[in-house]
Amino acid sequence: MEMNVFVDQLLAAAKAGGIETAEAYAREEESFSAKAMDQQIEQYEVSATRSLSLRGTVGGKMGYASTEAFDDEAIRQLVEGVIEGAALNEEEEQDEIFPGEERYPELAAEENDFAEVPAEDRLAIALGMEAGLRAADERIRLTEGSNINVSQNRVLLRNSYGLNLERRGSLAFAYTVPVARDGEATAIGIAFRVGRKLKNFDPDAIAREAADEALSMLHAEPVASGDYRVVLRWDAMQSLLSAFSGIFSAENAQQKLSLLAGREGETIAAPIVTLMDDPLRAGGLASRAFDDEGSACRTKAVVEAGVLKTLLHSRKTARKQGVETTGNAAKAGGAVHVAPTNFYLEPGGKTLDDLLKDMGEGLLITDLSGLHAGANPISGDFSLLSKGYVVKDGKKVSPVERVTIAGNFYQLLRDIRAIGCDLNFPGSGIGAPSADVGTLKVSGK
Amino acid sequence: MLDQNIAAEVLARAVSTGGDFGEIFLEDRVNHSVSMKSGKIDTVQSGRIHGAGVRVFEGTRAIYVFTNNTSREGLMDCASKAAAAVRGGKGCQVLPFRVNHAERPEEIRLLPTEVKAALKAEKVRAAEAAARAVSPEIVQVQSGFSDSVQDVLICNTEGAFVTDRRVWSRLRVAAVASDGKENQSGSDGPGAAMGFELFDSLVDPEASGRSAATQAVTMLHADKCPAGVFPVVIDSGFGGVIFHEACGHSLEATSVAYGISEFSGKLGQQIASPCVTAVDDGTMVNEWGSLHVDDEGMPTTSLTLIKDGILTNYMIDKLGSRRMNMPPTGSGRRESYAWAPTSRMRNTFIAPGTDDEDEMIATMGEGLYAKRLGGGSVNPATGEFNFAVAEGYWVKDGRIVRPVRGASLIGRGSQVLMRIDRVGRDMKMSAGVCGSISGSIYANVGQPMIRVSALTVGGR
Repeated sequence: MEMNVFVDQLLAAAKAGGIETAEAYAREEESFSAKAMDQQIEQYEVSATRSLSLRGTVGGKMGYASTEAFDDEAIRQLVEGVIEGAALNEEEEQDEIFPGEERYPELAAEENDFAEVPAEDRLAIALGMEAGLRAADERIRLTEGSNINVSQNRVLLRNSYGLNLERRGSLAFAYTVPVARDGEATAIGIAFRVGRKLKNFDPDAIAREAADEALSMLHAEPVASGDYRVVLRWDAMQSLLSAFSGIFSAENAQQKLSLLAGREGETIAAPIVTLMDDPLRAGGLASRAFDDEGSACRTKAVVEAGVLKTLLHSRKTARKQGVETTGNAAKAGGAVHVAPTNFYLEPGGKTLDDLLKDMGEGLLITDLSGLHAGANPISGDFSLLSKGYVVKDGKKVSPVERVTIAGNFYQLLRDIRAIGCDLNFPGSGIGAPSADVGTLKVSGK
Repeated sequence: MLDQNIAAEVLARAVSTGGDFGEIFLEDRVNHSVSMKSGKIDTVQSGRIHGAGVRVFEGTRAIYVFTNNTSREGLMDCASKAAAAVRGGKGCQVLPFRVNHAERPEEIRLLPTEVKAALKAEKVRAAEAAARAVSPEIVQVQSGFSDSVQDVLICNTEGAFVTDRRVWSRLRVAAVASDGKENQSGSDGPGAAMGFELFDSLVDPEASGRSAATQAVTMLHADKCPAGVFPVVIDSGFGGVIFHEACGHSLEATSVAYGISEFSGKLGQQIASPCVTAVDDGTMVNEWGSLHVDDEGMPTTSLTLIKDGILTNYMIDKLGSRRMNMPPTGSGRRESYAWAPTSRMRNTFIAPGTDDEDEMIATMGEGLYAKRLGGGSVNPATGEFNFAVAEGYWVKDGRIVRPVRGASLIGRGSQVLMRIDRVGRDMKMSAGVCGSISGSIYANVGQPMIRVSALTVGGR
């Protein structure tokens, strides 16, 4: 059944079933991916999928249900699921179905070249990275694969007030993971490109970058445990910001899961820190005109010059606090939560080399692992397996691995001493430049 | 779930261009969850996962096409797309189906889809109330119950035609303790391959609530964990995540077959201390990581990975088996039809040893007693692993002196396995969710209490 036809029938069935206000949120996606290994295509994957979630109020209370099947049985299950769930909902402040804005911001259409790049040419990108690795250095004879992914999606938001919104997204990414070996030493590297123009992906350049990283990490050793000055390269900084982005959610704050509750207007970070949430950013991976409950999206500073200006809100959290929504409602499994869009640390003026020069001695951290476990968003504590380089006299001198860096994210925000100019968005809407984050505790040998 | 004639037609189309193996995986799954925050039920959610994937092999190449459209047309379309990606292999025949329903040793008495959400809500409420009652410092409790009933059909060109029903239930409690300036958290999440009868014998919601809250309060009053290299005692149950990360992933065909794993080519060699025997067992009745048949339609197995320190087996899926020239081990798993299967763990644990638990701590000198671990990760190529300590205590002169927080443990798999110098007698398992290239799957980790003579403790 065509999606809009299914939604027509569903909204009619919801009304007939006694659901007072209802909203259908549908997502359709097509994807292509391939992985090259040993100089040949090892895995090849194609998909066309769709899913839909229904939420609706009965007696003013919200219930939720979702499906990947699109038949009459699915309509019955969705309507019954919402009714059963609504009957048990005890929250005083309820989510709402929103009739819609008068106007939404205009976003430049996302242009991609996917239609002009047939499967053979996409496979050539993966094979090209694999060949590039092989050519780069004789110490690279193994890889964890060279991958190309291309996907396109359409989101449909329709409700019983007649609101009918649609957005389309597309994304391609290519990455390669070489394994370098030299005697007993093993090291891996990774490099990737994210974008919407496959023709701009240069497999040789990606392979060279990944190979350089793997080779430079060979014979890495832990450093002695102690306090070290640390510069986080943009990718490590982005991992950390991403792991702790939930502390800026008003939903978490209201549930006492963030220590930023009630701190609006206070200084919570160093004066050079500005954190932006910009859904209207041109070409952003999370760019959108409306959020997942149909509110208009807008650009705002979350932290400006160290001062917390606002938390991120949905309609419910905003109503609870007596403010306007920030347009950050995000669906997760049917229910509405709060999430950032294009969320980034505003870049400063310094290059990474300048940051290292200014630091003099310390560590440059390029990779953080295990963020799902070693970073605790409730306490702000983190203790993370890290890789990088020893820095002496402002220069990288030797590779480091099997160390942890530990600290507290709330404290780290205050301790940021300098911010780089190299803002990057590695694969999601969250981005960061490199940053000198002051002193952290390092565990090594 | 699928007519045999259609299945045969789809498979024939899938291998029509030279593929030498074809497979259909079809799934219909109902998920249900009840969650509670700030003392109120806030989200009751039901969801239906429905779709199918067609997979074709051409030697060691794998092609996978999936869709939600499980009609004949939808599946034929998948088969055509898969066939189009084959470059011309030796081909294969579609053998006549041997139709069977997977053997299920357990009885599901209370199928979750037939239990009223209000009854589930009662259990969630009980866990939350017990957590709140632990201390006024508990400022937030999030509790929830989720269950799934997954019906699958797996058929292939080798004649397999298997249907199976998998049922899982899990309670989750997360508590936050705060003194206004700092927050600490604690959690508990018992689960099993059972229906709602889980609560009859196995899971006590109040005990789970108390356990999560006590952990949060203890950690709120804990000091920062010292940093450096120390002996570490790791308790039974979820402590087994150390083996899961430090060794388990590196024994999966996913990394072994390509020669990437640090344990590639080491069968028959000593890779662990002689006191270590480790098992990956999918056959244990009702356990969280158990299966009847794996996601490639093979009966599950019990596999000894390490016997007295010697590497005896890898975990192998069909594709890995082709690369490794070794038989598959019933270890092919996937999150759903939206993922091609690969070799994964089931219930993975260090087997009981002979050492005394009290002696381990009494003779360790200064170090860390990790009572409860959080999650972790590993890179099989380098063997570097990490995981978080959710509840830890500092040991001095062989005595537990104070709780410590914010610790993580890191190391290299091959080193830590050789440094295990004590294995206790009482093995326990604990439910986890494991993420890898075929998605998130349910897996048990387990072990008796063990001691590692030296491990890097990431602390502050």
